[in-house]
Amino acid sequence: MLDRAQRSVETGLRMIDIVGVSKVYETAQRGRHLALDDISLAIGEGQFVSILGPSGCGKSTLLYMVGGFIAATTGTVCVNGKPVAGPGPDRGPVFQEFALFPWKTVLGNVMYGPRQQGLSAAEAQARARELIALVNLTGYEDFYPKELSGGMKQRVALARTLAYRPSILLMDEPFGSLDAHTRTRLQKELLDIWERDRRTVMFVTHSVDEAVFLSDRVVVMTRSPGRIKSNVDIELPRPRNRAQLLLDRRYQEHVLDIERLMDEPAEGRV
Amino acid sequence: MPRLSAVPGLPPLLACLALLAAWELAARAFGINGLPPPWTALRELPAIFADGDTLPNIFASLRRMVIGFALAATFAIPLGLMMGRSALVARFFNPLLMVIYPVPKAALMPIIMLWLGVGDVSKTLVIFLGVSLPIIYHSYQGARAVDDKMLWSAAAMGLRAPARLVRVVFPAALPEIMVGCRTGLVLALITMVTSEMIARQTGVGNILFNALDMAQYEAVYAMIVVIGVLGFGLDWGFEAVRRALMAWAEPSHQIAVGSA
Repeated sequence: MLDRAQRSVETGLRMIDIVGVSKVYETAQRGRHLALDDISLAIGEGQFVSILGPSGCGKSTLLYMVGGFIAATTGTVCVNGKPVAGPGPDRGPVFQEFALFPWKTVLGNVMYGPRQQGLSAAEAQARARELIALVNLTGYEDFYPKELSGGMKQRVALARTLAYRPSILLMDEPFGSLDAHTRTRLQKELLDIWERDRRTVMFVTHSVDEAVFLSDRVVVMTRSPGRIKSNVDIELPRPRNRAQLLLDRRYQEHVLDIERLMDEPAEGRV
Repeated sequence: MPRLSAVPGLPPLLACLALLAAWELAARAFGINGLPPPWTALRELPAIFADGDTLPNIFASLRRMVIGFALAATFAIPLGLMMGRSALVARFFNPLLMVIYPVPKAALMPIIMLWLGVGDVSKTLVIFLGVSLPIIYHSYQGARAVDDKMLWSAAAMGLRAPARLVRVVFPAALPEIMVGCRTGLVLALITMVTSEMIARQTGVGNILFNALDMAQYEAVYAMIVVIGVLGFGLDWGFEAVRRALMAWAEPSHQIAVGSA
């Protein structure tokens, strides 16, 4: 299965290249804890790849390393051919916690990145308004984050990140704290937005349905220590429609296969 | 009968009346010179304010208080924020602050007077010391509580660490900093009066303690009321400003009156 995943990467430019990455946490209480063990993973340009695993498998840690927010203990992470040395506007994170600036309005939040990149206030505002419309929040420009629901906050967070035009979206369980209905809606909206320019997405989730519905490829991880168990290519036509997919045998098989993979006991150490 | 809480100004007004009533009762019960009844004390107020020295004294006090407070905020907020975001800075300053914390700042007044004399500089320095600690503490707590993900989001936009401290940590911690400032404001008033008790020259404290020395107890109580009203007014004004500036903050940062 790994071969197939590699092949899909080789059809395009390698946008994210993770080679032999491990992460060890040292704590006074528990000593050395191996969170990620020898992870190698490549994601091609324009691919939508989900990292799927139980909580505590280190999938978010892996995403933070690509973002440059934390450093790997061993191994290298390259983005666009260059080793990651820190965060940068080429990689835009969207977090489960939204992490909006509470003292800024919706417009202020979305303008923040473009302003930081040197756009004039008028240019930044024009771009921000466009993105606010894209995430269906027109009319909420002057609202503060505390006045918005969780789903609206996550739309703002997505618009804020898209506003500085990262070539890679790093999504860390972005819909994890939302109710089922809002979650489904936002998945669809995310896919609609993604279809417009198909930028590279690394999407961390623990939901099998979500991973299969959204992704070109699902990377299944095991926990303690976090290892890659399997790469599953999702060969479903795009643009995808949830109602059609739910009736599609291939979708059902993918979900069942991956659920089975996740239920299997962890393999012994190599 | 309409509910008491339906009239906004009524509960505090009732509390004031209750206080006056208790004062009146106590004054009658004890009947000593040192506790005149409220009416006799408050009757002194026109005479006190008719004295041409009173208002300049109050302004002198307020000026020292404002300068001490402003200097403290300028120094304490950046220090607290840096301590909150850097374990190294926190480890360096924590022991120093723990030593200074339990020392009553006014107790340092005689020593400071030896260095800097009995004038404005000494008094302002004591106010500065009194106000700094709560502001450092709350700035520190506020900075520590800033979500990493918010800082990472800013870092991804290209903000480097110093810019993040000023443009993300500071505004994110501002609701908590304001709580420290409110505590600091009350402490500024207390240290202001105490410093004027120790080094008398000008100020509300000067008027109060001079009256005490001359056994003018009515004037003493009238001045206590003046200081109380001053404190209430300052706190009320600060709260109005804080509420207006912090409208964006989550309700968890709202503070009940007296929590400071």
